[in-house]
Amino acid sequence: MTTEELERLLVEQPVELLHRLARGRVHRHFRAGKRRLIELLLRHSAENRQGFESDLLALIADRQSHPVGPAARPAVERPRAAAHGRPHPAHHEPEHHESPVALGAWLEGIGVPPPQPFVPDPWQEEALAKLQQGDVIVSVPTGSGKTYVAVEAARRAMEENRTVIYTSPLKALSNTKYTEFCRIFGAERVGILTGDRRDNAQAPLLIMTTEILRNLLYDAAGGEIDLRLDTLGLVILDESQYLADPERGVVWEETIIFCPSQARLLLLSASIGNPHDIADWLTSIRITPCYLIKHSKRTVPLRAGYLHPDGKLTPLFRTVGIPHGHPNYLHPEARRLFARYEDETMPSGRRR
Amino acid sequence: MPPSIHPVDLIEALRQKHLTPAIVFLTSRRACDEAMESFDHTRSFLPPVRQEAIGTVLRQVIDQYPSIAEHPLIPTVQRIGVAAHHAGHLPSWKIAVEELMRHGCLDAVFATTTLAAGVDFPARTVVITQSSIRKARDFTDLTIGEVQQVAGRAGRRGKDLVGFAIVTPSPYIDLGVITKGLTGQPEAINSQFVISYPMVLNLLKAHPLDQMQAILAKSFAQFQLNQRAEVLERKLDEIHRQLEPYGPRVCTDWISQWQLFDHVRRQRTHRTPMRRHEPPEVAARFHFLTTGRVAGLSKSRGVVLRQYRSKGQKSPMVTLLRPGGAITECPAAIVTEVFDHVLDCVEAPVYPWCTPDSIEQLLRELEELPPRLPVLPILVPKEELIPDAIVQTLGDFSCPTCPSRSACQKDHAHASKLRQEQQRHTKAIQALRTSLWHRFQEKIDALQRFGYLSPTVQLTETGEWARLIRIDHSLLITELVRAEAFSGASPALLAAVMSSIAHDDDRPGAFPRISPGLGSLLAQVRKLAESLSPFEDPPLLRADIAAITEQWIGDPTLTWIGLCKKTTMAEGDIYRLLARTLEFLSQLHGLRHTHPSLAESASQAIATLRRGVLEELP
Repeated sequence: MTTEELERLLVEQPVELLHRLARGRVHRHFRAGKRRLIELLLRHSAENRQGFESDLLALIADRQSHPVGPAARPAVERPRAAAHGRPHPAHHEPEHHESPVALGAWLEGIGVPPPQPFVPDPWQEEALAKLQQGDVIVSVPTGSGKTYVAVEAARRAMEENRTVIYTSPLKALSNTKYTEFCRIFGAERVGILTGDRRDNAQAPLLIMTTEILRNLLYDAAGGEIDLRLDTLGLVILDESQYLADPERGVVWEETIIFCPSQARLLLLSASIGNPHDIADWLTSIRITPCYLIKHSKRTVPLRAGYLHPDGKLTPLFRTVGIPHGHPNYLHPEARRLFARYEDETMPSGRRR
Repeated sequence: MPPSIHPVDLIEALRQKHLTPAIVFLTSRRACDEAMESFDHTRSFLPPVRQEAIGTVLRQVIDQYPSIAEHPLIPTVQRIGVAAHHAGHLPSWKIAVEELMRHGCLDAVFATTTLAAGVDFPARTVVITQSSIRKARDFTDLTIGEVQQVAGRAGRRGKDLVGFAIVTPSPYIDLGVITKGLTGQPEAINSQFVISYPMVLNLLKAHPLDQMQAILAKSFAQFQLNQRAEVLERKLDEIHRQLEPYGPRVCTDWISQWQLFDHVRRQRTHRTPMRRHEPPEVAARFHFLTTGRVAGLSKSRGVVLRQYRSKGQKSPMVTLLRPGGAITECPAAIVTEVFDHVLDCVEAPVYPWCTPDSIEQLLRELEELPPRLPVLPILVPKEELIPDAIVQTLGDFSCPTCPSRSACQKDHAHASKLRQEQQRHTKAIQALRTSLWHRFQEKIDALQRFGYLSPTVQLTETGEWARLIRIDHSLLITELVRAEAFSGASPALLAAVMSSIAHDDDRPGAFPRISPGLGSLLAQVRKLAESLSPFEDPPLLRADIAAITEQWIGDPTLTWIGLCKKTTMAEGDIYRLLARTLEFLSQLHGLRHTHPSLAESASQAIATLRRGVLEELP
């Protein structure tokens, strides 16, 4: 075989085959396009021409004996066809009738929203209203504005001359909130308690870690009251999904069990699977009922994408947004690229 | 090494599509640092306006936290607008990065997944490169909740119309985990209620013992146990319903009655295989009725030619040669005596079972035998004489003649299965309802044993102060205090021991040497921890970790940089170690009313410990 013949043969092959041929021969071949890949392969073939040719012929024979590749890897030479929703038997789902979203449409709408006056969401209003009647647990996605509820609730309680305790699981978070609350309410009205330091411990709004609050509650129960628990009107437990933390979860339980009955509890939590269980539990142990405020809609919609190591970006799912409940509803392009990635990175000889 | 996108290319791709600012979640701190290093060789610079903006924000943060003024990463961050943020950094540096991000000065932050649970830190885009995280020495797949927590950082309220979660493959990725995480419902959370020694002491201080069960019943743990118990109770009701048709018959509890009968019946047939009519004497004798044996019959004597069992009944039989030459087949029971005398005989496989010559011989010998022969003493097994107790009771059962016998026999298999299930559920429900209380009682027992609680479950004098130690490994610490292990120990030694108790990470590294005094004290602590291991899991008690604290407190002139240079431990880890030691020491300081000298030593240690970086944050 002359070099020209070999080159012609390589040009005829799909890029997938070339990548498999390049495995172990060419360094970082996955980053190369087809032309560059052929160039690299030809350069390499000078080292061991016989072996290279026999490998190539074996791969071609292998490909011809299995003309239909595994279902997860649609024909590479026709990515356009795949991207336009060619029905694919192995992954056929009823939803697949509509064609997958194009990259342009998926990227549309990036930008900064025009400044608009802050209007609380209905669920935020509802949470605050329910807090007048009993305990409240808020379980909403990250970044939906739980802090607004905490701040408003604290403001209302302080207006009624009641003490507010805000707890977070981490010292770092406590510090962030301390700075934030100082900005909102003024430094003289906010205090912080940590393991060994008390700043402004007589302030109406106290920030601490949950462990500190638990210790305070134990001290109060033991008769050594060193905090005005009788005027305590509201306890805000941020990140209450820590209830399920293997090491520290017990502290949240203790805090909730021993929280004085006249104080309202406001539990702020990320999305969890069983918030109604927690609400039922609170209702069963506290004198006031517990209301559950729950939704799973994000304020800022989320889209998922797939970035191939060669820098190619595609949507991850066939829809613009996240197709809830359909984990296999992948964009064909993302599926193809990931299959290729797996094929390339798999140690040779082992196939999925 | 399988490939993943180069950090520089990644940021470039995101910038091109206007997907910045982004948080890139990487597997490890090292991956974050290496990503930062990879920018050293790029020629990309931020426009001067943006560099200036970063400088302004940084100056504000440095005003508040002077310790980061000299941070080695500042020039890189300013030049390229990208930063790393992970637990190995000082809290003040992390605050600086957060502040920069909040002002929109950075294009990307490389972070570990700890960030996701940590601070309020959103961006337009999150990049996910892994589907598992390191949890206690092992990599485990991200849960749905964790994936959503990570993806939740994408999209800033009021600053973005859309948020993006972008997956990029790396050796650590399983796309299925991520897609399931993005599209699924988060997992239900479960109670992790653990009953600790300080909890028991504090509860008993405030409430009498008889209220304890009620208090434990208020826990989420019990709530969830009750939920499980209720599920079982519903199942139990269903079983009750299914059992209804199998109500009382001739006897009220026919299921167990039949079960017993059935059992005995099987047992009996098992114990008397094939010899229902065989008295034990015969069975015992039969073994000795071998060829040539002289056997006594009721009127005469005979010689055994062969022994066998009859074909149908398998009853023991012998072939006898009688005086006069008659050869008879008769049951073994016919033999009245077995004599201690065996005649020689040549056996043959067919009738007459021995050679004709030997028959002549035998007949002659039989005639010549003396009239009195010694009888072979044969031991008849006793238990065979008195039948098994169970077998004896078989006569007590009314089942064989009972009118509902066939019905019982038919239904028994199903009914007894239901009954067993019923009993299993009943036991499980019992266990679910009482398990917390049992665990509580175990702790009470241990506390009584060590003298923190009196036999009447009141707090003793020791218990009164021990309840103030509300940290992990509280039993070890209170026992150390009681053993006066710290009397005369310097504040540095005390803090060093506390930090070795507090530290629960086994990451290796290089550390300073420990002093001989600390070494012997730690040996003492280790011995005590070992002896307490049935009651409390011993801490790691790393001497190398203790040495860091010892150096920091033992030498008040040591600077933070100086301390960091003595070890390979990351800054953030040292900070956390010292902060946690501080917490433990302040618990000891709480014992000032009962242990003034210890508390004094602790507060001295606290005062020395809290300097430099550790003074900056409240």
